[in-house]
Amino acid sequence: MIVQTALLVGLVLFSVLAIVLRDLLKAAISLAVASLLLGIVFFRMNAPYAGVFEISVVAGLITVLFILTIALTNAGEEVRESRIVRWVFPLFFLAFIVIDALVMKGLLQKIPALPSAPEIGTFGDVLWKGRTLDLVGQIAVILAGVFAVLALFRKRDKHD
Amino acid sequence: MITPYFVIIPLAAAFLIPLVSKRKTGPAVLLSLASTFALVVLSGYAFFGRSGETLVYRMSGWKLPVGINLVQDAFSSFMLVMVSLIALTSLVFSPRYIDRLGGDAKYYSLFMVLVAGMNGVVVTGDLFNLFVFMEIAILAALALVAYGGRAHEFEAAFKYAVMASVSASLILIGIAVAYSATSSLGLATISRGLERQSPILVLWVGGLFMAGFGLKTAAMPFHAWLPDAHSSAPAPISAMLSGVLIKALGVYVLIRFFYNVLGAPPLFLQIFLVLGAVSIILGVLLAIGQWDIKRLLAYHSISQIGYILLAMGLDTTLGMIGAVYHMLNHAVFKSLLFYNAGALETALGTRDLREMGNVSKLLPVTSGTSLIASLSISGVPPFNGFFSKLVIIIAAVQAGQPLFAFVAVVGSLLTLASFLKVQKFGLRGGRPVERLIGEVDGGMKTAMILLAALCLVTSLLIVPGIRETTIDPVVKVIMEKTGHAQIVLEK
Repeated sequence: MIVQTALLVGLVLFSVLAIVLRDLLKAAISLAVASLLLGIVFFRMNAPYAGVFEISVVAGLITVLFILTIALTNAGEEVRESRIVRWVFPLFFLAFIVIDALVMKGLLQKIPALPSAPEIGTFGDVLWKGRTLDLVGQIAVILAGVFAVLALFRKRDKHD
Repeated sequence: MITPYFVIIPLAAAFLIPLVSKRKTGPAVLLSLASTFALVVLSGYAFFGRSGETLVYRMSGWKLPVGINLVQDAFSSFMLVMVSLIALTSLVFSPRYIDRLGGDAKYYSLFMVLVAGMNGVVVTGDLFNLFVFMEIAILAALALVAYGGRAHEFEAAFKYAVMASVSASLILIGIAVAYSATSSLGLATISRGLERQSPILVLWVGGLFMAGFGLKTAAMPFHAWLPDAHSSAPAPISAMLSGVLIKALGVYVLIRFFYNVLGAPPLFLQIFLVLGAVSIILGVLLAIGQWDIKRLLAYHSISQIGYILLAMGLDTTLGMIGAVYHMLNHAVFKSLLFYNAGALETALGTRDLREMGNVSKLLPVTSGTSLIASLSISGVPPFNGFFSKLVIIIAAVQAGQPLFAFVAVVGSLLTLASFLKVQKFGLRGGRPVERLIGEVDGGMKTAMILLAALCLVTSLLIVPGIRETTIDPVVKVIMEKTGHAQIVLEK
């Protein structure tokens, strides 16, 4: 219980750091740490596949991409942020924590624990056979992402 | 079984387009037009030929609690017809306009992905699958909003992306709660499962979905992203977004979920009534003050969505007829108005109403169709908008909500005022424009004339004989409420 709480507190802490830190590199690393902790939480909750994906893709691959991008772009140009952003996020975060503390416990008790589903096959069976269309959908999402990147970074005539 | 083809055809076209057209956009235009035309024909067949039937298609042959099923009933077919029709006109309008933006074949790929996502949302009978298709459509929409590539377009797309991910998180939490309570993801099985759960749980799931899909619908408290996104997108995409995207991803899912899954809980319907009324008035008030023609139209989308939400909140058959009918009508006239705005922008090089002038001589088609669309949206007979608003107002009075009927009437008058402004400054008033900087080509004209004709044709749907075969089956499916789950499960 203590380990779990520590992991969850760490998760929230590093997620907040990822947002409030001004240094992009530090922010990217905080995000990686947060998702690493989330991956460990998944493992401890008997969801090894989710944990593996979380750590390998989110903590690993995406962090590498972030750091690569930050390293390749100019660090000199600072974009000015409006002042409102600086105090809006902490304010919302605090409000969220308060509401969370007041409401969530009561609500969560109302939900029955997920009954262990009848064994219908291995993880692979369910993913590839039962949820085929979702996989096709995921492929389409990636396809849309690729088209989006290609379309938005295309060479264009100066029209404006 | 025709149901899966509504996803397969556009998705396959999206894959094929980059293969067939390397440099020139010609083959891409042809392929996307052909596949969209096929979708129009298929959806027309599904709606008119198989009306009243509920088709269930099991992906990979797995039965409901485990696998994903596609469900196509009159309501889904109705939405498919709407999406395909607007997509077809949008593609007819596109080529010249997109060339001007330095466009290439990827535009058409993204467009087909957008259509595939919307069709997927409409035909799927599985909650998580719906979420996946929603993400497909949103991702394509984001890229298309920023397609012009100027700074403010990227800013609008970014704003849209932030709002879309907030709504996606809310929806995902809602799915998680529904799944943990019912151990299933099929809409029909969730409907069955939630009946046995405590009302608090239903409240929680409903609240999360209302906020999540409310953001997609852009009703009043959730509207902040819409005016930016819809006004920054290229005109044919604005037409798709305002005309069908907010309906397929927003209104359709709200109606499907709150009526067919939750069985129309009165508390939520009350909230829809209020949200609708607030959106009608505030949306149109914000619209009147705008000078950017596309921004003005975008604010009107919020107001018109308000009519649909108000009508669906009444929980009467007549109200639902009004909601479904207005959904179709709004798709037709709002798309037409965005095409008009796109044509004006092409011809005059500006979107600011103050810089426009009298173009009725130079652009007879644009100004003529724009008059028809303006009269439709303001609810002037004999155009379609009049009839659907009339049905909504009568339904509100019959349901014992005269105050909401009054709001609808006031909203309609204010809409008329704001479109008089568009006509006066943008098209008919002021000094005549002498020279156009761009040409409104045949494709654009065809798209506008097609939709202007539809503005008249769809007003025929109110004729009882025609209504019985078109709108009534759709309303029947919705008003079956949770009984619909039974029909799906028995198939």
